[in-house]
Amino acid sequence: MKQIADLPVRIIAGGSLADLQYQALQPYAPEALAFLSAWSKQLLTRPDIRAYPDAASFAYWCRPANLARLHRELGRDQLRMGRGLALHIAPANVPVNFAYSFAFGLLAGNVNIVRVPESLPAQAGLLCAVAKSLLTQAEHARIASMTSLLSYPRDDAITQSLSAVADVRLLWGGDQTIHHLRLMPTSPRCVDIAFADRYSLCLLSAPAVLAAESKALLALTVGFYNDVFLLDQNACSSPHLILWQGTDLEVKAAQVRFWSAMQALLHTKGQPPGIHAVEKYTHLCRTAIQVNGAMATPTADNRVYRVALDQLPEDIADHRGRHGFFFETIDNGFTQLRRIVNTRYQTLTCFGVEVHSLAEMVVTSGLSGIDRVVPVGKALDIGVIWDGYDLIRTMSRIIALQ
Amino acid sequence: MSNLETYVTAFTSSLLVEESALENLKYQDIAAWDSVGHMALMASIEEAFGITMEIDDIIEFGSFAIGKEILKKYDVLI
Repeated sequence: MKQIADLPVRIIAGGSLADLQYQALQPYAPEALAFLSAWSKQLLTRPDIRAYPDAASFAYWCRPANLARLHRELGRDQLRMGRGLALHIAPANVPVNFAYSFAFGLLAGNVNIVRVPESLPAQAGLLCAVAKSLLTQAEHARIASMTSLLSYPRDDAITQSLSAVADVRLLWGGDQTIHHLRLMPTSPRCVDIAFADRYSLCLLSAPAVLAAESKALLALTVGFYNDVFLLDQNACSSPHLILWQGTDLEVKAAQVRFWSAMQALLHTKGQPPGIHAVEKYTHLCRTAIQVNGAMATPTADNRVYRVALDQLPEDIADHRGRHGFFFETIDNGFTQLRRIVNTRYQTLTCFGVEVHSLAEMVVTSGLSGIDRVVPVGKALDIGVIWDGYDLIRTMSRIIALQ
Repeated sequence: MSNLETYVTAFTSSLLVEESALENLKYQDIAAWDSVGHMALMASIEEAFGITMEIDDIIEFGSFAIGKEILKKYDVLI
């Protein structure tokens, strides 16, 4: 059985590298479900989880009923086992991402080594602390022998040692990071699943926005807020571009209705840090220089920056902003969308247009991007189908019988 | 435990609220029943009754009273 020499890493939860037992389980094994369910329950019942909606969302996703549903969706017509050792390189931009990655690896039946960022934000620390305590309990001993959440300052030698023995690697990061990690030697049958830099956008139907009752409009703004501001547009699923559909008059009226409702909501969230406003203003100036035809839309305050474009440049994704910076255009026949979409494009959120018809448009147009079409509000809902990958199936192997 | 007792316990333990406050309790009436509290409550109810609720029902589950009606769909009679 595989053995890794002990490396100079800091173990945050689970076993040390030398203690790990490299024996895979079947997908959705009872021990894995028991651990994840316990993790979910312990997190949800803590009063301090209230401060961290993202940690609470993870705990909610991980609850027994949802895991049971995912298990049913996998089906039982194939005999599967985890591939073996899954190495996870977690991203720095989404604090709870490492937990999902770890859960996916475990649900697929793998032993998991999860490298988390060196300085853990509060909610990540909370998730780890609860996991650590559960993994010391006798009933979770099997999972403890399959889990190591660790961190180390950037060290290619350590990452190389781990990569060399991995059977599957989940690589979350920017394009440079992925490229760098790919250059490291891995075993011949190691499967790399790369979650590289992605770009996302939103489609709003002006007639639908205008026709929405106040409750529906409020729900739209809350959903948009969650998609954008919970992570300040740092997540690759958050929209940076808004495509409107409707006549010029409808779109103008709908923009007024939508953005004033957004402003009202943003006002209830308090004053954003000055540095965000400075960053947006700087980006606006940069955009004015670099993007032809960009017209800044006047805003009441610094919470939202909007740039209108008649024609999107093909490299619009390179001009994305953060903390509430949006490009807007009208795109009635999806002609602009078809021109700009490439493999970088991940999530298309929508309101007033049916997700199925949009998804069909993606397929019939042969678009090389867009892996998710979801309603506004669902942009950050991560799951076992992600970035176009079917993660549980990809991270497990099939034992074929004749 | 009767279904009612189970239901009450799900509320009192998830929302840290007294049983006496439950009858007319609605979503967002108290600080504890915010969106995070709602997730905790739904998870607790699903587990207590061994059911998986549809997303529409989770969204509609806006009060102690309405919840009882919704649970009838899952053959849970309170």
